[in-house]
Amino acid sequence: MIPLEAVAGLSAVLFAIGLYGVLARRNAVLILLAVEVMLNAVALNFLGFGAFRGDLTGQVVAIFVICVAAAEVGLALGILLRLHRNRQTVDIDRLDELKW
Amino acid sequence: MVTTASAWLLPALPFLAFLLTATLGRWLPGQGAGIAIVLTGAGAVLWAPLLGALFVEGPQLYQPVWFTVGGDALHVSYIVDPLAALVLGVVLICSTHIQVYALGYMGGEARFGWFFAVVALFTAAMLGLVLSASLLTLYVCWEVVGLCSYLLIGFWFDRPAAVEAAKKAFITTRVGDVGLLIGILLLFRATGTLDIPAIVTAVQQGAIDGGTLTAAAILVLLGAFGKSGQFPLHVWLPDAMEGPTPVSALIHAATMVTAGVYLVARLFPIFEAAPVALAVVAAVGLISAAGASLLALVQTDIKRILAYSTISQLGLMFAALGTGFLPAAIFHLTTHAAFKALLFLAAGSVIHGTTRQKLDELGGLRRSLPVTAFTMLAGAAALAGVPLTSGYFSKDEILLGLLDRSTLLFVATLAVSALTAFYTFRLWVRAFLGPDQMHGHAHESPAVMLGPLVAFTVPSLLLGFLLFIPFGPSANIIAFLAGETGHPPAQYAEIGSYYHAHHEATPNGLVLGTSAAAALAGAGAAWAVYRSGARIRRRLPGAAVLERGFFIDALYRWLTTQVVMRLSAFFAWFDRRWVNDAGVNGAGRLPAVVGGALRTLQTGNLSTYALAIVAGMALIAGIILWSGR
Repeated sequence: MIPLEAVAGLSAVLFAIGLYGVLARRNAVLILLAVEVMLNAVALNFLGFGAFRGDLTGQVVAIFVICVAAAEVGLALGILLRLHRNRQTVDIDRLDELKW
Repeated sequence: MVTTASAWLLPALPFLAFLLTATLGRWLPGQGAGIAIVLTGAGAVLWAPLLGALFVEGPQLYQPVWFTVGGDALHVSYIVDPLAALVLGVVLICSTHIQVYALGYMGGEARFGWFFAVVALFTAAMLGLVLSASLLTLYVCWEVVGLCSYLLIGFWFDRPAAVEAAKKAFITTRVGDVGLLIGILLLFRATGTLDIPAIVTAVQQGAIDGGTLTAAAILVLLGAFGKSGQFPLHVWLPDAMEGPTPVSALIHAATMVTAGVYLVARLFPIFEAAPVALAVVAAVGLISAAGASLLALVQTDIKRILAYSTISQLGLMFAALGTGFLPAAIFHLTTHAAFKALLFLAAGSVIHGTTRQKLDELGGLRRSLPVTAFTMLAGAAALAGVPLTSGYFSKDEILLGLLDRSTLLFVATLAVSALTAFYTFRLWVRAFLGPDQMHGHAHESPAVMLGPLVAFTVPSLLLGFLLFIPFGPSANIIAFLAGETGHPPAQYAEIGSYYHAHHEATPNGLVLGTSAAAALAGAGAAWAVYRSGARIRRRLPGAAVLERGFFIDALYRWLTTQVVMRLSAFFAWFDRRWVNDAGVNGAGRLPAVVGGALRTLQTGNLSTYALAIVAGMALIAGIILWSGR
């Protein structure tokens, strides 16, 4: 039996790595990747607490998170493809026209 | 069968005439003037049986509901009592004759029909005002009268002087009307009704506290003084002479200046309950009577002399009201209407026959204008109060009341009488006696103008004898106006008891004698000074003050140009600088400035946003954790 603290700790580490990736990366694909990591950290958190409490709700939400993540990746990659075709870049520092 | 209930027809007929003449007049022969005369005349004919019905039925009040607001019904109530009935007759008869006269005088005018339309509306509004037993309808009619006077004084609007005079009349009376409106609203707030009988009943039951009542009465007086050309709002009346002469006759005899006297008479119980206001009425009346008769001494325009005499005579009426002798005031109003209409129509005949109206350019007209000369002499005698004329008897009624109150007022008024006789006969003697200044070029007016002149001569000379003959069920006209119509007081109580016991109607020997002496002395002095036609070269001290009208016009000009305009300039600056630039534009610019500062937060850089989100989340989490402790 894996202790809850280990699951929560792994989840926190994964979330922090993902957050760091979102903040530090300039490549949109890698930022998307980091967001996926954060989502999985959350899903892992749900699973750990669900197992700890002994009910299935945590697993249900985890599957739900995976579904949302899949949909999100599909949509986001589509947008990124269009973006790259139009602008020949996915560097977010050069994609700052949406202001004022 | 005419009953008092059909009194509403009297204003309705001239109003119908106004509508028809103003709309259809251009396609009718004479531009529809005939409609105005026939319908106004029909009203005058209808008036006689109405007076008979009043004798039979006694005073009546009718209150048809106009519309209901909330729980308050607004009535178009009208009242038929001796006061209203007599003034109705005065207005209708004067207006009819003056319109007939205007057929001749205004002949050839481009807007001939429009003139008659407005005169008909003027008459209708005045009749409505007289009949009104509700302050609401009274005020509406009051304002229509003001509008018509503006239109008629400025009838020749291609003359700058007429335009100025019309504006002056309108604005000056408007100053008073604002007071009237506030006074009416004060009465409404205190009593919850605009019906005059109900207000009078409330006042007589002491339902209004003294301060409010006095304030309301004095504000109402402002309106009355404005309309009646009393000091200090008299300045428009002499200038109103720029209007056509029939209009002057109408304004001075029947339809406008008498409205102020009538208003005070109609609301007399309110003034009786406010002694301060009543004293103001008397004081202003006497000041106006004395001041105007002094000013009339130095005028050279015949119409302006008559205008100042109107102010003076109206002042006497207000003096009578102020000393509590309402019947005397209204009786003088009646005789004054007759002889002042006569004098103005005669003056119009002189202007028509000579195209001149300055005394310096007139003289010796008695041969070329014999009918005008004779009729104007009758009018002048009545105005001067020469014994046995109408003005003599009605003025004696006022003098009798004044003698009752104070010998000083009596003597002062006698002096005014002597002055009146002097300037009236100065006018007549200088115009009609002496050498002929026109060298035979003057011509007598056509019959259509002389007819009304002659018609007005009869009442000017004979109306005074109404004092000595029964008037309907009453002993004489004073008793009639005092409400002694032989009807039980109970019926009166419903309407609100309007009148009180009057003084002895028959003047005593002292009044008759001194009044006759004053009139004859004034007239004789004028005759002695002016009959030769020689001009008086030596200017009397004080003449400059009189010629400038006691500097009242100059005072008003100074007030408007120096005080009002500068105050207005300051307010205009304040409005532009602070309200508009700082307030309104500032409120508009504020979001732009704030937005301009805040928009720089939107960098468009995704990393910045992400960092902001994380920082915000951390902040919120920190607050939750910290406050959870």
